[in-house]
Amino acid sequence: MNKISTRQLCFFLAAIVPVGKIVLLPTNLIYYSKNNLLFPAAMNIILQAGIVFLVLLLAKENRSLYELISDKLGKVTAKIILTVFSIFFFYAAFMPLLEQKILVQGIFYDTLPSILAFSSFFAFSAYLCAKPLSSLGRTWDILAPLSIVAFIGIFFLSIGSADFGALAPALQSGAGEIFRGFAFNMGWFLDSAILLSFLGKIDYQKGLPWKGLISYLAGGAAVLFFLAIFYGVFQETAINQEFAFSKIAKYFPGIETLGRIDFIFVYSLSLVMAFYAILPLQAGIDLLQQSYGKAEKRLLPALLSIAVNIVMLVLTLLFDHRYISLNFLINQDLFWIFPIFCLLLPALMLLFKIRRHREPQ
Amino acid sequence: MQNITGTLKTDREALKKLLPAEDILEFPFTSENGCEFICMFTDPITDKELLGQLVARPLFRYDGDKSAEEIGKRLAFPEQRKEKSLDKLAEEILAGNPVLLWEGMDEGLIVGTKKVFIRAVAEPPTDVTIKGPREGFIEDVKVNTSLVRRRLKTGELKIEYLKVGRRSQTFVAVCYLEGTSVQKVVDEVKEKLNRIDIDIIPDSSYLARFLSSRPESLMKQVGTTEKPDIFCAKIAEGRVGILVDGSPIALTVPYLIVEDFQSSEDYYVPSYRATFTRLIRLFALIVAIYLPAFYVAAQIFKLQLFPIKLLLTIAGSIRDLPFSPSLEMLLVLIVLEILNEASIRMPKYVGMALSVVGALVLGETAVSAGFVSTPAIIIIAFSGIGLYAVPNLIEETSVIRLVMLLVAGSVGTYGIILATGFIIFYLVTTDTFGSPLVAPFSPVIGKDLKDSLVKYNLASLDTRPVSLGSKNKRRLRHE
Repeated sequence: MNKISTRQLCFFLAAIVPVGKIVLLPTNLIYYSKNNLLFPAAMNIILQAGIVFLVLLLAKENRSLYELISDKLGKVTAKIILTVFSIFFFYAAFMPLLEQKILVQGIFYDTLPSILAFSSFFAFSAYLCAKPLSSLGRTWDILAPLSIVAFIGIFFLSIGSADFGALAPALQSGAGEIFRGFAFNMGWFLDSAILLSFLGKIDYQKGLPWKGLISYLAGGAAVLFFLAIFYGVFQETAINQEFAFSKIAKYFPGIETLGRIDFIFVYSLSLVMAFYAILPLQAGIDLLQQSYGKAEKRLLPALLSIAVNIVMLVLTLLFDHRYISLNFLINQDLFWIFPIFCLLLPALMLLFKIRRHREPQ
Repeated sequence: MQNITGTLKTDREALKKLLPAEDILEFPFTSENGCEFICMFTDPITDKELLGQLVARPLFRYDGDKSAEEIGKRLAFPEQRKEKSLDKLAEEILAGNPVLLWEGMDEGLIVGTKKVFIRAVAEPPTDVTIKGPREGFIEDVKVNTSLVRRRLKTGELKIEYLKVGRRSQTFVAVCYLEGTSVQKVVDEVKEKLNRIDIDIIPDSSYLARFLSSRPESLMKQVGTTEKPDIFCAKIAEGRVGILVDGSPIALTVPYLIVEDFQSSEDYYVPSYRATFTRLIRLFALIVAIYLPAFYVAAQIFKLQLFPIKLLLTIAGSIRDLPFSPSLEMLLVLIVLEILNEASIRMPKYVGMALSVVGALVLGETAVSAGFVSTPAIIIIAFSGIGLYAVPNLIEETSVIRLVMLLVAGSVGTYGIILATGFIIFYLVTTDTFGSPLVAPFSPVIGKDLKDSLVKYNLASLDTRPVSLGSKNKRRLRHE
């Protein structure tokens, strides 16, 4: 499979990444920051965009994360670091999977569905996790236009019902609430860390870091616009409106006669979301493959994929009704794990950039 | 390998040993100068009248030299060839070309008086056009190559013949434009064809399986056409074409899925009309695949998908049904597939009766008897029609529709979404002869999008598809 092109990466950052931030993040932001939800979201987006830029600078080396680290610190250290990162990815994947599960139960079924309904997600996940990460590039070519059309459709159907005055007065609640909103929602911003696993699989072209940065900011702008409309539509009651993207357009006047036409866009976004939710698992498995497998053999990722997905399925069933307490534990009490792995360590990876001595003129 | 000895009796016996079949006949005669000849041929596929007039009659009166050159000159027939190998001579006899042997000559003379039973070149029933050429390929590879040659009058057009099939010895013509087609693809096609070790090749679809990199795949990986104008256009774009003797369906590689959304007529009508038609085809296909599935999923798992008035109508029509929504839809779908299969195979004179039975008895009576609901019949009817908007994908899409229906009945709309995700991933990761199956959409190739689901004006299509990898990029030169 070919390497991921600049265009495909930009599609990912601009159109796929925002999809993971419109399900439960909006209500979580409102819980901590009330009508100032845009500020913590923007802080996270800007910080992530900066780290994405740094990680994409590393892509110029055309070497995998394992190769970059092992060149400087040796193979054993590289294996340890990548294993730790993999464990982090499996840990960080759990909340998006639970989020996906309750989303599926919430918007796809009138009554509580059987176990089979969500178990099929893990079959899909196991299939994708066994495939090389670079094959995702072509998938993004198809999913990105779908996502963009769906976002535009949702915006079009919902913007008429939004009262943006509800966002004012800004900063009334104070810096503390904004900071809490920023810190306790970092779990939704894993993007720069995930990009580390793509190193060596990107077809680097001149200007890639800048294009990546702009794409991420464009996607972030779409998320902020979505959040603004969401709060504008539901205002004080927004905190109870989980699965924001499935509800935001329900006051469109045409729905009474045409039915839930917004579900065309909701289902399109759900398709994109299914791919996005699996990404941390894929990244974790890929890092293990880099450390312990051989590039041409796909047996290890296939076995890991089955094992990891079975474990995740069991955990998802075990913690079926504990989303809120887990959310507090992972995103609030243990929030400090995310800045280490999603901000600090990706930024530090720049140290592994190979210095080139300039040839004498 | 055994060769002709020059002793007529020995050579005749050797050939008879190789070809013991009863329809291999021999015609011995002696010329005026006393030279003994034997003409061996296959009875039903040799033109005996031509053989008598152009071969036997001149030789009866022959009194010249016994060399193959001189005898060859006497025959008023242009298609003749000398061969020493007995095996090759036997092959030619089986192909319908008589072999002439005579005493003292260590070569056999092959005379091309093969009798060919061919139907006339006609419009293919599977690819009808309103505007544009109406010629279609037939079962004879020679006629088919002549149809191609008539459209591509250039020395760059290479037609290479191979024989495939141990017993059928089927002629396969590999056609390509030298300098335009990718040589690697040409070599790969020839290598794959040469590697085939099967007894017979009854149709080109056999070869398609061997040319596919994933033969067990749901999606086809080789393009097909029955029309020489499409075949030539594809070759001119840089593809490699394969014509098979005995089959009116030509193959082309590399195959892109977008090809099946295009028809030859798209290039003979204004571009806006072609774009509209292609989008309609895509829409029809999507609706045909997903409508039955979403209808079932909505009924079982998410009634909210229906507008309230439609919901009340549906509720009224399904009230006393004995089957679950998925079983009901599955039954109607199976009935449709049975009707479809029967109407293709059934003799024409009972076709009308079948239509009456299908439409009235199975349709109207089943609804009034309360076995199935009216919406189910409407949905399956629409789906059945929609699928035929892209007829070349019918084998794949009818299976996908069935899978979607089963998934919808068991997992609901989320299952449909995951199945769609699976199909998308599968399609985008499939390559055929080095070209991505879903190009120019994945990977996105801007220039090729001009002739994909949208179609630009012919003057804008000045380059060959990038996705095919041809080095000869320009096809239209502007002044």
